[in-house]
Amino acid sequence: MIQFDKVSFSYGTRQVLQEVSFSASFDERIAILGGSGEGKTTILKLMLGLLRPESGRVLIEGEDIAGRTEDDLRAIRMKFSIVFQEGALFDSLNVKENVAFCLREYTKMSEEEIEGKVKELLGIVGLEHDQDLMPEELSGGMHRRVAIARSLASFEPKMFLYDEPTAGLDPVNAEIICQLILDLCEAGRGFIIVTHKVFDALKVAERVLFLRGGRVIFDGGGKELLRSSIPEIQAFLGELRFDGKGAGIME
Amino acid sequence: MKIIEFISEFQDFCFLSARGLLGVTKKPFYFKDMIEQMDYVGAGSLFIVLLVSLFIGMALSLQLAAELSALGLKMYIGKIVGVAVIREIGPVLTALVFAGRVGSGMASELGSMILGHQIDTIRVFGVDPMKKLVTPRIVSSIIMLPLLTIIGDLIAIFGGFYVAVFVSRQSGTFYWSSIREALYFENVLSGIIKPFVFGYLIACIGCYTGLSTRGGATGLRRATTKAVVASIIAVIICDFILTRILLYVFGFSL
Repeated sequence: MIQFDKVSFSYGTRQVLQEVSFSASFDERIAILGGSGEGKTTILKLMLGLLRPESGRVLIEGEDIAGRTEDDLRAIRMKFSIVFQEGALFDSLNVKENVAFCLREYTKMSEEEIEGKVKELLGIVGLEHDQDLMPEELSGGMHRRVAIARSLASFEPKMFLYDEPTAGLDPVNAEIICQLILDLCEAGRGFIIVTHKVFDALKVAERVLFLRGGRVIFDGGGKELLRSSIPEIQAFLGELRFDGKGAGIME
Repeated sequence: MKIIEFISEFQDFCFLSARGLLGVTKKPFYFKDMIEQMDYVGAGSLFIVLLVSLFIGMALSLQLAAELSALGLKMYIGKIVGVAVIREIGPVLTALVFAGRVGSGMASELGSMILGHQIDTIRVFGVDPMKKLVTPRIVSSIIMLPLLTIIGDLIAIFGGFYVAVFVSRQSGTFYWSSIREALYFENVLSGIIKPFVFGYLIACIGCYTGLSTRGGATGLRRATTKAVVASIIAVIICDFILTRILLYVFGFSL
C-alpha cells in the first residue's frame, strides 16, 4: 500500500504540492493527470524517496520513507520500477548494455546468460534486432520501449511507474506503449502513469487522480472523470470532445 | 542568506569530496568505469598538454634569453627553465589545461545526466551514484594529472632546449647539464605532489557542479562555467599554499 498523507512540496519558492493525500495498492492501475508543472512527476519522485516532502508523510507498506538513508531506501525502491520521461537511457551505453545494466550490477550471470536475458526482454518490447544501437540512434518510441525493457531487468517490481510514457509520440507509437503498459501489468502488478494525455490515461487506467494547483481535485474512475462538472477538468477534457474520442472511451 | 547558502554549498562540496575519495575503500569497485575515465582524462588530454607545454617552454626560454643575454648570463637559461617548469609552471599549466578540458567535461556530462533523469534512474536501481560516477572520476584524475604533468614538464624542457640551442645559440650539452642540476629530489618532489592535489580538486569541483545542476540548458551552461572558473581559482590559490608549505618543509630559505 502506498499512502500520501498531507504531503506538501516546493521547488524553492514555488509550491508544487499542497497537502496531497491519497492511497493506492500495488495492483491498482492509476493515472495521475494534470497540466505541466502541476507536480505529477514530483509525486513519483516522492514515492521513490528521490525527493523528501516538506511536510506530511509518504508511507510505503506502512513505513514512512522520509528521513531514510539511501541504503534503507534501496529496499523500498526495489518494489517499484520506473520509466522516466523520454526513457532516461544512459547515453554512453548501447541498447544491450542499457538493458543489461542491472543484471551486471546485481546478478552473477555469465555473459551468455545476460545476452539471452537481454534478448528476451528486448523481444517483449519488440526491439530484439536493435541491440547494438546507441540511444541517439533511437526514435522517441524506441527510447521508451528500451527503458521499459530495462525496468523489467531490474528486479521483480510490485508496481510500475511511468512518467509521461507517451509524451511526444505519434499515435501509433503511443498505442504500442499503452499496449505494453497493459501487457506488463497482467501478472497482478499495477502501475501509476503520470501524463497530461487524457486519452492515453483513460485507455489504460481504472482510477484517475487529477492534480490542479498542487491539490488532488478529482479521485475516481474514468467514467466519473468524463462526467465531472469541475471546470478545470472540463477544460482539460476539451481535447477529447473536440476529436470525438470521448464518446468512444465512454462506450 | 547568501553566506548561509555558500556555507551550505561548501559543506556539500566537502561531503562529496570525502565520500568520493573514500569510495575506493568499499565494494563494489567500478574498474571498467575507472579505466574509461582514465582514457578520457589522461589519453584524451595528452595532445593539448603536449602542445601547450611545448610552446610555453619555448616562450619561457625566449624571454629568459632576451633578458639574460643583456647581463651576459645566458648560460643560466637551462637551470631557470628547469626550476620554473618542474616546480611551478608545469604543474600549474597542466592543471589549468586539465581544468578547462576535464573539469568542464565532467560538469557537463553529470549535469546532463541530472537533467535527463539518468542519475535518478541509477539511484532507483539501487546504485550509489557517488561510487559509480564520482569515485572513478576522482581516482582517474588523481592518477592521470601527475602523469600528464611529468610528460608536460619534459616537453616544456625540450621546447626550452630547442630555443636555447637553435635560437640563442647555446650549447646543448650545457643546457642539459643545467637541467640535470635542477632535477634534485626536493624540486622533483614538490613538482610531483602538486598535481595529485590539483587533480583531486578539479575532479571534485567538476563532479560537484555537475551533480548540482538545476534549470535546463541555462543551468547546464552555468554549471560548466562554474566548474572551470572555480577549478582555476582553486588551483591557483592551492598552488600558492602548497608552494609556501613545500618551501618550508624542504628548507628553502626565502
